[in-house]
Order: sequence, then structure tokens, then C-alpha cells
Amino acid sequence: MTWRDVALRGLVAAGTLLVLSAVIFFSTDVLPGDAAGIIAGQDATERERAEIRERLGLDRPAVVRYLEWLGDAATGDLGRSAAAGRPVAEVLAERLGNSVLLVALAAAVVAVPALVLGLAAGLRAGRPLDRALSSLTVVLLALPEFLLATGLVVLLAQHWSLFPAVSMVPAGDAPWQHPDLLVLPVASLVLGGLGVATRLVRAAAASAAEHPAVEQARLDGESGARLAWSYVLPAAAGPALQGFTVMVAGLLGGSLVVETLFAYPGIGHEVAQAVTYRDTAMVQGLGLALAGAVLLVLLAGDVLARALDPRSRPARRGGGAA
Amino acid sequence: MRSPDRRAFLGLGALTAAGIAGFLTGCSSSSSSSSQDGEGGEGGDGGTLRAAFAGGGSSETLNYLLGPTALDFVRARLVHGALGAIDAGQPDGVRYGVLESIEISDDLATYTLRLRDAVAFTDGSPVTAADLLYSLRAPDELGGLPFTRLAGRNFDLAAARVVDDRTLDLPTLTPIADGRLLLCQSMLVVKEGVTEFTPQTPSCGPFVIEAFEPGRQTVLRRNPDWFGPAIGEEVSLSEIHLLSIGDPEARVNALRGGQAEFVSGVSPATARTLADAEGVAVTAGEPPYVSNLRFVMNLAHPPFQDERVRRAFRLAIDRQAIVDTVYFGRAHLGNDVPALGFPGYHAELEQRAHDPEAAEALLREAGHAGMAIELTAGPELTGMVETATLMVEHLRAIGVDATLNELPAGQLFADYEAYQRLPFAAGYNPPAPFEPNHTPGNFPDIDELVVTARSATAEADRTAASREAQRLLWERGNEIIPVFVPTVDAHADGVGGVRHLQFPDLSLATLDPA
Repeated sequence: MTWRDVALRGLVAAGTLLVLSAVIFFSTDVLPGDAAGIIAGQDATERERAEIRERLGLDRPAVVRYLEWLGDAATGDLGRSAAAGRPVAEVLAERLGNSVLLVALAAAVVAVPALVLGLAAGLRAGRPLDRALSSLTVVLLALPEFLLATGLVVLLAQHWSLFPAVSMVPAGDAPWQHPDLLVLPVASLVLGGLGVATRLVRAAAASAAEHPAVEQARLDGESGARLAWSYVLPAAAGPALQGFTVMVAGLLGGSLVVETLFAYPGIGHEVAQAVTYRDTAMVQGLGLALAGAVLLVLLAGDVLARALDPRSRPARRGGGAA
Repeated sequence: MRSPDRRAFLGLGALTAAGIAGFLTGCSSSSSSSSQDGEGGEGGDGGTLRAAFAGGGSSETLNYLLGPTALDFVRARLVHGALGAIDAGQPDGVRYGVLESIEISDDLATYTLRLRDAVAFTDGSPVTAADLLYSLRAPDELGGLPFTRLAGRNFDLAAARVVDDRTLDLPTLTPIADGRLLLCQSMLVVKEGVTEFTPQTPSCGPFVIEAFEPGRQTVLRRNPDWFGPAIGEEVSLSEIHLLSIGDPEARVNALRGGQAEFVSGVSPATARTLADAEGVAVTAGEPPYVSNLRFVMNLAHPPFQDERVRRAFRLAIDRQAIVDTVYFGRAHLGNDVPALGFPGYHAELEQRAHDPEAAEALLREAGHAGMAIELTAGPELTGMVETATLMVEHLRAIGVDATLNELPAGQLFADYEAYQRLPFAAGYNPPAPFEPNHTPGNFPDIDELVVTARSATAEADRTAASREAQRLLWERGNEIIPVFVPTVDAHADGVGGVRHLQFPDLSLATLDPA
């Protein structure tokens, strides 16, 4: 993996983001109706409706508005909320950190059990432990986030009153100052991501276990944790890490549901609210940011996985051409 | 966050009785002036009420002229002084706030608004007639949303005249008798020249803004200089925290988990569960503070041009079944005319019966037996989709090939032109009197009656015209209004004094520490 590779992948990601920006803009734009209809209410006159539409700039062609939006976005200006006129970038700056905190905590918590369980299952592929873990992860995968979150609320918040059911962060405070408010949203994301992460690590470990070097170590008498740590993990690290970043990207999506259910002040909650109020500029701006974040995570995973993958190292001799 | 609350609660022992008194009288128009004794004249040490509303994410704004959500208006109503409120129990049909009186000239062409003495903004300056006039013009001049522009649609604001510091003469565009209702429905007072709304903007309501984070919460502190005591309204709470919780389940979870004492907008099913829960009480708005759920039969759709078809559709609907199964009893029977509970509501009209046989016969007679119709509805009002579902079943029972087109949240009114072209569509109106909100165009004779009902100089003529207009709407109108729907709220035991206006009014709420 050379700097050229990294640059190339960055370009591909940027291109993907460009395509996504068009998808986000036009898919939200062609939906029937617009913020003018919602804001105006039922008793508005035609003239009042037209006025609101004009004020929001909704009376100009979509392509022109897209190009303007894209140009502005490139300079960090994501437009303004339709209703209150707040800059989208300001909302993004305020909320993105909260969402990143949530996802980062969840990812960190997922990492250890996913690694241990995934390695354990991968090394015993097909045996009872593997089959039991597979069933468990399938169950976790099959359960939608809102069900997991609701289950956690019913048990941990309502039944045992251990944690607050809603993550209302007091005015002026940041979420990290209130760890108790983070527990349930993070736990919901962890349960949502654990299944995927464990399966991806297991797959990487199972395939690494068949590697000649691991086979050799096994014949040399290595086993258990030592075998896993010294031989399987290095071989599996690349693909496992890549899988892990896919899981993190998934968590960013899952945070949309989890944040809404816990009223957590993150970007996902904001997107959900903006959709309800048909605040197109907000949906587009935050959607673009989320897409960008997901691409960035995937890119980072890709680059790191390549760097870690022992098989990619000899390729360096060839000058890095992909 | 929690410990200051506890402390505030602990200091409340003496207030218990006053709190309960406040709760008992809270539903009527007068309120607990007796709570003064318990507070040692200080007032406002009655704790912190945390109230959760759906909110609107970052669209929330302190500029109530632009805020599209109920929370924006609830907040504004706590911060800014209101001209008054609709109150059918008062002689004028309104309870005055910042205003002391509204006199109407005999020809119904000039309204004289008189301000209460010694009402001041938080910056110490008195509220003057110039501020009042500015406030009435602000919705038009600051690009307010249509629902805020009531005054400008009915009064000639350009020709208004400041008579003295406390008196404003307001000519009407055409003579109207119902201007008091319009002026007191939702108009708030701001200081002349205010164009930006920030926590520092001078205001004259019961609370001031301490902190505002759109989409999260607003911290409001009692305004010690509020004019309320002059009209017998005493604030008990020291703080109100308005929380934005978009998800209805999360709102109820916040109540159950003790993170909020009051939540607005509870679904009928949840209300039924909560009503049995310990430590929680469910309340619902009473007429006139109920929204009318209406189903419009578009007169451009040929079958609906036949009066018999419209009557058949109305007779086909089992309204009681809707009240029972959709709202679990928390709704009021509709009779196809709007504004239940307002003084002008024609309560003597015979309640429309559920008569599927007659409905089927009427359809056959009109030659539309087995007609096909699509009903469009969306979750814009509690129970709208469920009611539409039942109505489709009821229509099928009389042989109509009815289908339901269910739209996702936020889409029903999004394209208003398309909405108006739908042959059969659900909609709703928030609580508002009938005459000034009547949309003309469908029935010229009814439109004319409504004009008379608003402008005849003799009250008897107005009443007669209004009743006749409602009777005609009942007989051959194109709306089915099967139910009136209240906002259902839930609160922890010990919360009292919440008034149901168009939206919950928390200004006189009380907290009982028990």
C-alpha cells in the first residue's frame, strides 16, 4: 500500500460521495410537496404559500439548486434550516461530536467480545462452540435495533430502574459529562453491532486458521490462546479490521434509530426530526455528512486493512501499482 | 441536575394544600390566588416542572411567528404576554390578559383595545399601545406563518390609530362581530421594533428564557414582575424545563422513568395503559379545545355533486364505534359541523345517526350503488389513519368499493394543491370558532349566511344566520366530521394546574412533592 494507493482510494471515495450527493439531493427533492406546504399549514392562502416557497428558494429549477448546494457544501456551507433558518453546518457541528462519541464507545465496547468470541469460534469452526455462537449472533443480527433498544428500556430502565430511559442531556452540558445517559444507547448499538462484528472476525479467523503458517504452528504444538494471539490474529487482523469498520459504518446508520428512541442529541435524531418536518435542507446537509462519515470510516478501514495484511506486503516491490 | 430538583421539592411541604387547590381550580378559568399565602409572598419556589413535547429538532425557534411546532407556541405563550384567551365562560367570550378590554363600535367597524395598567417588559419599559400595534403588525411584517396572520386578515392594520399610551383604535376590513375571538386566539405582545428573538429579547409573559437549545430543551425561569397577580393568576413554579422528545414512546418512557413530570401528545392506546399505571394521571382537552377530524368529499368529484351521495356517506359512518375503538372513549362525537364547544356551535342540531340501510338506499337512488372511492389519510392527527380505516369498512358495508390510501407522516398536506384535488381526503382543524374560519366557495348561500353571522349589527341576527349556516352544512355540506379529538397529556401525580388551551398552558402549573 503506497501513498498513491491511498490517494486513489480517496479519489474513489470522493467520487462515490459526489454520486451520493446527487442521490441525496434529488431523492429528497422529488418527494411530493415541500417544506412550504408543511410550514404554511392548512389555512394559508395561495399567495402566502407562494411567498414561503419563494423565501425558501423552492421556486427555482432543481438542477440549479443542486449545483449551488454542492458548491456551497464544498466550502462548508450546507444551507439553512427551512423553518428557523439555522445554518445546517452549525447543527452538524453541534451534534456530530455527540454521535461520534456514541458510535466510538459502542465500537470500543464491541471490539473485545467480538475479537474473543470471533477467534474462539473461528478456530473451532464447525464445532459445538462455533455453532452455539453462530446461533447467538444470528439472533442478534435478526433483531432490529428498535426492538433491542426497547427491550433494554423495559428491563434496565423500567423494571430495574438502573439507567434513565431517555438520554436528556441537561442544557449546556455535553453527553460525556453524564455517563449514565450513555449506557442504554451505547448498549443498544453494541447489541446491534456485536453479531456482525463477531461473524466477520470469525470468518477472518477461520480462513486464517487454514493458512499454512498457522497449520505449521499447530503441528509444532501451539494451541489455545497462544496460537490465536501469535499466529491466527496477525493473519486475520487485516480482514477483521476491515469487517470491523463495516460494522462501525453500520452503527452510524443504526444510531439514527437508537438516537431517536432515546432522544439522544445526535445527528441521527436530528435527521429523523428533519424528515418529519420535511426540512429538506437539513435532511440533505446532514445526510451528506453522514454519507461522508461512512465513506471515511470505510476508507480508513480499507487502508489500515491493506497495511496490516501480510499478503499485501510483497506487492510493495512492484512500485505500488494496484 | 437532579439534586437541585430534590432540594426545590423539599422546600415545598407548606405548599401541598395550595398545590391541590390550584389543581382543583386549574381547569376552570379562575385560578389559585390562594397559593400566595403558602409562598410567603415570594411566589415561584414551587419547584421545577419538566415537560416533554414532540418538538421539531433544530427547526425549533424562539421566533414564534416562524416556529411550525406546538412546542414553539407553548414556549412563546409562556414567555410573551397574550392579549387574552378564548373562554366561553366569560361575558365577552374571552379572558383578557395584557388587554383590559376590547370595545366594539356599534357599526362593528372599529375595535378599541385598552391595555391593562402597569404591564411592563422585562427591560422595565411599560407595554404601550405602540407595542401593541407593532405586535399586531409583526406577523405580516416579519413574514410570519399564515396561522399567525389572523389580525391582518380581518383588521385594517395600516389605518390603526394609537389614541394614547394604553388605547388603540383598530378599524376592521369589513364589519365583524367576532374580532375579540380573533384577537385573543393566539396573539402575543412583543416590544416595538423587535425583529430578532433571542433569550435576551424583552418580553412580558409569566416566564423568561434562561437557556434555549433547539431540539433539546428550553429552561424557563419565573418572571417575578409578571402582571398575572393583577388578574388573579399566580405562578407557583420557579422553573419549567421544556424538553424536546420526538419519539412518542420515548416521551412516555421519560415520564415513567421520572425524567419528566408532564408529557404532551400521548396516543390513545398508551393513554389507556397509562390511566391504570400507578403515579401517573392522564388528562385530555375539553371542548372547545378539541381538533375536528374531518373528511372532505371533493365537490369536483362527480358522485359527490349529488347531495344524496354525501348524505349516504355521512349516514354510513358509525361514529360511536370510532370514539370507542380508535380513541378508547377519549374523543367527542361529531355532527358534521365544526367548532364544538365554541359559543356559536349549533348544539341543537339532531345528532347524525348511523343508518347503513338508509345510506345504501340513498346511494341506489342516486344511481351510485357500488361506486368506487379512495380515501387518503396520514398520521397528521392522533387516530386519523385508524378512523379512516374504520370509515372505509363502514362504507364497504353499504356496498361502496372503498379503499384507503395511507400516506407516511408529513405527506398529507405537503403538496397542498394535490391534496385539494383528492376526491376524498382526511384533514383536521385545530380548535377555532366556525364563522371566521369558514372557507367560502362551495355553497354561495351558506357563504352569505356566514357573512351575515359575522357582520350583522344585531346579535340575534348574527346568531340566527350562524345557526342557519350550520344547519345547511349539516344537511348538505361536503364534510364528514365524525369526531372531535382532544390532545391527550399525561403527568405525574402531584402535577396540577395545567390548562388545556389550543396547547397545554403550563404557566399556572403546580407541583406537589408528595
